[in-house]
Amino acid sequence: MTNKLNPGKIAQLLTKSTQQMDEATLSALANARQNALNRRSVRAPVFTLTSASAHSSVRWTDRLIPHSAQPWIAAGLLAAILFAGTSYWQHVQEQQIDETDVAILTGDLPIEVFVN
Amino acid sequence: MKGFVHFKIPRPIVAVFLLLCLTSSPCSAAAPSWRSLTPTQHEALAPLVGQWDILPEIQRNRLLKTAKYYPKMTPEQKQRYHDRLEKWSKLTPEQREAARKRYRAFKKLPAKERERIKQELKAEQAKKAQQSAASGVSAAPATNQH
Repeated sequence: MTNKLNPGKIAQLLTKSTQQMDEATLSALANARQNALNRRSVRAPVFTLTSASAHSSVRWTDRLIPHSAQPWIAAGLLAAILFAGTSYWQHVQEQQIDETDVAILTGDLPIEVFVN
Repeated sequence: MKGFVHFKIPRPIVAVFLLLCLTSSPCSAAAPSWRSLTPTQHEALAPLVGQWDILPEIQRNRLLKTAKYYPKMTPEQKQRYHDRLEKWSKLTPEQREAARKRYRAFKKLPAKERERIKQELKAEQAKKAQQSAASGVSAAPATNQH
């Protein structure tokens, strides 16, 4: 056991071993590598955003608003839109009821026509 | 437990949900008493002077909204409004809602159909008036005999 293993030799041995592997194993390894790369590419933006100031390809939104505040601002905008929509819908409903009441109370048909 | 962490609802979403729950709860402004109404409102709601303060708040608010239209009404419409206000205020909320539904259904009918119904109702009313007048005339001698 006088042979010392250096990184270059290890790489050579691994390459040699890889060449000896059967096709199914190689295919499984290739698939696993691809899956790992796919997962990494999905997470990459999160990593990029956390180091936004140091990065050259920073999104314009990150320059304007701190990344940590973005979900809150998005949630605030969503809440404002939903609230405005609900308020407007309620206002329209109320106005329709008022107009109907006035029409019943002032129309040329007696109230009994609609009540009975 | 790791899988559960993946489905954790983000805090901003929870905040939006809570905010909407709080803001969407129905809240009606306190209805004013008869004394605190404006002169225009007094004029519009005059038939309800005796019962205004005992009406439910929601109904008072609704009537105040209809009173806003009063200044723009024609004299004939004002008269009808006054004539019908008391009866309208005595209806239950369900009866009022049913009346609104019937009115909306009536409004959706073609103009010709609406006119036909109006004519039929007028004829029916005239017939009833005639009948009541006739029964009143025939009833009068009967009451005189006692």
